[in-house]
Amino acid sequence: MKNIFSLKSLWSTLYFFGGLALMGGIWELISGVTKNEIPNPRMTWEVVKEVMQNPMQNDPDTKGIGVKLLSSLARVGIGFGLGSLVAIPIGMLMGASKIVMNIINPMVQILRPVSPLAWFPLGLAIFQDSPQASVFMIFICSLWPTLINTAFGVANIPQDHKNVGKAFGFSNRKYITKIVVPYTLPHILTGLRLSVGVAWMVIVAGEMLSGGIGLGYFVWEEGFNGGSIAKILVAIIIIGIVGLLLDKIFMGLQKRFTYAI
Amino acid sequence: MTTSTTILSPANVKAVSVADNVLEPVLNPPPTIEINSVTVSFKTPKGVYTAVKDISLSVNKGEIIALIGHSGCGKSTLMGTISGMVKPSAGEVKANGNVVTKPGPDRGVVFQNYSLLPWLSVYRNIYEAVDAAIKDKSAAEKKELVEKNLKMVHLWEHKDKLPGHLSGGMKQRVAIARAFAISPSILLLDEPFGALDALTKGTMHIELLKLWNLDNREKTIVMVTHDIEEAIFLSDRVVVMNNGPAATIKEIVDVPLPRPRNKKDIVHDETYIRIHDKLLSLLIDKFSIDDIKE
Repeated sequence: MKNIFSLKSLWSTLYFFGGLALMGGIWELISGVTKNEIPNPRMTWEVVKEVMQNPMQNDPDTKGIGVKLLSSLARVGIGFGLGSLVAIPIGMLMGASKIVMNIINPMVQILRPVSPLAWFPLGLAIFQDSPQASVFMIFICSLWPTLINTAFGVANIPQDHKNVGKAFGFSNRKYITKIVVPYTLPHILTGLRLSVGVAWMVIVAGEMLSGGIGLGYFVWEEGFNGGSIAKILVAIIIIGIVGLLLDKIFMGLQKRFTYAI
Repeated sequence: MTTSTTILSPANVKAVSVADNVLEPVLNPPPTIEINSVTVSFKTPKGVYTAVKDISLSVNKGEIIALIGHSGCGKSTLMGTISGMVKPSAGEVKANGNVVTKPGPDRGVVFQNYSLLPWLSVYRNIYEAVDAAIKDKSAAEKKELVEKNLKMVHLWEHKDKLPGHLSGGMKQRVAIARAFAISPSILLLDEPFGALDALTKGTMHIELLKLWNLDNREKTIVMVTHDIEEAIFLSDRVVVMNNGPAATIKEIVDVPLPRPRNKKDIVHDETYIRIHDKLLSLLIDKFSIDDIKE
């Protein structure tokens, strides 16, 4: 947080607002062309204020936008958390052993390109419950980037580091805690960052299918079916900002655990 | 009455041989490192590659030996057989009388690229190595070893820094302190100063010899290098290797320069110049002016 008022940060702030102004201009233009079929920024702002009036309202039939956001985040958290708990150890085994790699890699390569939405009906069939099916979908799509990056990290531990362990007779425990994990951590965090990005994208689609409480359902039910395009725009902005924050968190962690040699 | 004046009755003969058995190792100690017809081959996709072939060499206690040769001539491989990181395909290596099968705390290694763990502080880098290599000491004793060796290389005040924040010379000193900290009787240096600039290199040579002196010159040091000046300045014998594959020892050149050696004066010494020329011609006999003109 040093030099927050430096010339450089002043300029980047100016660029930021410049970019916002440009986007607002284009938005205004589109609204003009569509004769406010797509509401203009000012009209949208009114809806933002309306939506934000009581964000944590939690009555049985009216839920505030904050409650919906938290409910989406909770689903992502559970699915992503479980997915990571499975992906990290398996990824480590794949990186450490050629045999495990050869057994698991073909499966990963086949399943990875499948659209996460294709897993939703399967989850529905298994759990007979649509919110659980969206958690299942998040779980599946969180697996691949973490799995692949973890395996890559473990498989690429530099010979130099391995030599240290060998030359000084590190025990297995010491080798794992002092060499494998610290070296692999930035790779794991890259995987987690990609996973959480996918998960956050997929939850909106999932909730559109599953209904219930959540941002995706908000977009579909209150926005599209409710005939309020402005609400769709508000949801898009919220989804975008939260996605950005999630990305920043993992990027920060990644930086924190990357070391110069 | 001494054994030499007694009449050699059967009983006395026995006494003489017993005395010999006791005195023998003291007068003629076995070499600290014995390399007996070692061959190292690797399986590669293109077939079997023999890096070094049928090499024998012994190194005495307190000797400093330099292995010199062109890149890829198997110097590091040969060194690896002493440290126990490379298994010979034929022959064996003995260190302190024991056949080498794996790395051990009697042999300290300093690697080419320092090989410090970048996520551990200078202190932890050494502590984890000491902790892993030395089994029979308490945590307090291990900490003492780390402190002593870090102070020895004048890095105590930098103990909490990460390796990424150190200069190349400092990193190398950490690596050397780490190798010394496990109190090995044999020190193996694999191109230890290769990545350093000439000035830092010179300082490091003197620091290394200082550490060796502090230890009463009891440590046996084997060093891989491709720097002729470095080899002569530091070592008692220079082992020149042929080009690989299947590298062998081309010649062993003695360096009978008295110690302590002075970096500035030594280059004018006749013996130094003679050895330097000899090593140069051994290493680059292939090249002539004609090659360069083309």
